[in-house]
Amino acid sequence: MSLLVLPIPVVQFLQVATIAAAAPGVSGVIARVEARLQGRAGPRVLQPYFDLGKLFRKEALAPEGSSWVFLAAPLAAMTCYLTVPLLIPVLTTFGLPLGYMGDILGGGFILSLASFAVAVAALETGSPYAQLGASRAKTFSAITEPVVLFVVFTVALVTGTDLPYALAATVRSSAGQIVRPAHLLAAAALFMVILYETGRIPVETHSGTNEFGMIEEARPFEHSGPYFALLRWGSAMKQLILYTILLNVFVAPWGLASTAQAASVLLAIVALLAKAAGLGVVVAVIDNSFAKLRLFKITEFAAAAFLLAVLGVFTLYLGGG
Amino acid sequence: MLATAGAAAPSVFSGGATVIAVGVLLIEFWMMRQALLRDQVRLYAAQSALISVLAVVVAAARHLPDLYVLAGLSFALKAVIVPIVLRRLLRGLGARGTSPGWTDIAGSGALSLASTVLIAIVVAAFGFFSVAALGIQSPVLPATALEISVAVVLVAFVLMIMRRDVASQAIGFLSLENGVSLTALVVAAGLPLILEVVFLFDLLVVAVVFGLLIRVHHGRAESLSTADLTSLRG
Repeated sequence: MSLLVLPIPVVQFLQVATIAAAAPGVSGVIARVEARLQGRAGPRVLQPYFDLGKLFRKEALAPEGSSWVFLAAPLAAMTCYLTVPLLIPVLTTFGLPLGYMGDILGGGFILSLASFAVAVAALETGSPYAQLGASRAKTFSAITEPVVLFVVFTVALVTGTDLPYALAATVRSSAGQIVRPAHLLAAAALFMVILYETGRIPVETHSGTNEFGMIEEARPFEHSGPYFALLRWGSAMKQLILYTILLNVFVAPWGLASTAQAASVLLAIVALLAKAAGLGVVVAVIDNSFAKLRLFKITEFAAAAFLLAVLGVFTLYLGGG
Repeated sequence: MLATAGAAAPSVFSGGATVIAVGVLLIEFWMMRQALLRDQVRLYAAQSALISVLAVVVAAARHLPDLYVLAGLSFALKAVIVPIVLRRLLRGLGARGTSPGWTDIAGSGALSLASTVLIAIVVAAFGFFSVAALGIQSPVLPATALEISVAVVLVAFVLMIMRRDVASQAIGFLSLENGVSLTALVVAAGLPLILEVVFLFDLLVVAVVFGLLIRVHHGRAESLSTADLTSLRG
């Protein structure tokens, strides 16, 4: 094993670079697995990269009457998605210098800011479908927000802080921490929120063309060219960021680098990609096993996630969680 | 009993036992959303099986050989025989032209599902914290399991109140008994075996009586809804 030690800023940069570079690939894996499960050949795993490359070469058009906000939103969203990987344990078990800028709530706020920017841009267009998507996305994120808050409460009660690094370290510390009900309930609730946030099956068809059922997917309808590419890339990054939070903080915080040695950081990158691909397979299986919920039944999905998160906090307060 | 910041995790045994108890409670919540009678009976069987699993876990960890017998008997009765009896008795109660077991009890909720779940969460929280305030300690299981079992009983009440059809109300009653047997497991795991067995056979009688009552109601009203019962008012 080489003893080459990477400077800390390089590790910090690698966290962002890994997320940015790998995100379309994870989407590609999910699309591929989903197609195979349906008996189709499916697109190449690298297809999302080719799509992005094609979109970046196209010209950008904006609807008549839209202002600079419309064009600034994809850049703002991308900036947010590039900031969050600094805050969460992507590659290392130890907090990197910029990792203490914000806690889990801080990361959540930045993700919400990105989604807000995209929604405002969708409203700018005056196109009914984009506006519908923006309005739905904001409505439903208002009802999934309490779930996220209760998951954060659980984390805070378990660790005494709401830094994601602390929870990952706690989960690694003993088997009792893994089977405790509060941890399992919070992880399950977070997984349901992630299914909602990434527009996966019980909530939304990810690759469908049925506008009436669309929530997140409808928002970038009016964007084109490089701006559309940024939005697509951004939503893939958001997906990988959320997967990373679930995997590296809640479900499987193993394989992370405990030192800044080049070999262990490289191993951490490979481990993260393998874990994200594994989670992607699970998501693809869920995509194929359930039907999309009717729009007005999504509250039931959110209520179920809320139930899990609240029970997690309750069991902690009762002393047995 | 406030969990202090960064409290040590419970042991693997008590964590696992609490997870099973939480599973029983979650199945109780799950029953609220089932639209088919057959699925509700299936959930009841799953809930009963989960309680038998918990009994086996306690028996193994605490060396109480009686509990193995109890777990086996309760599995045979509540997870196998009672569901079969219920399914037999309720066969053919569907609308004309539907296959048996597909008896439609969808849309019998008095409120929307999300509101029902929120109400049930509040009621369950009341059960949790009022029992926690009593400070009952159990030698065999963590006290959390007791609080969860009381929540199961209360949520079963919510299920029976919110669903306006006789079938859900019967299943709600039977699952309420599941909550009670969970309580018994926590506070009286050493209860004489013969008493437990008597309770279990009582349950069989309850299932038969409920099944007959449901059939009679369906025969008179041509539906499973309790809305028709209001006409009995004098």
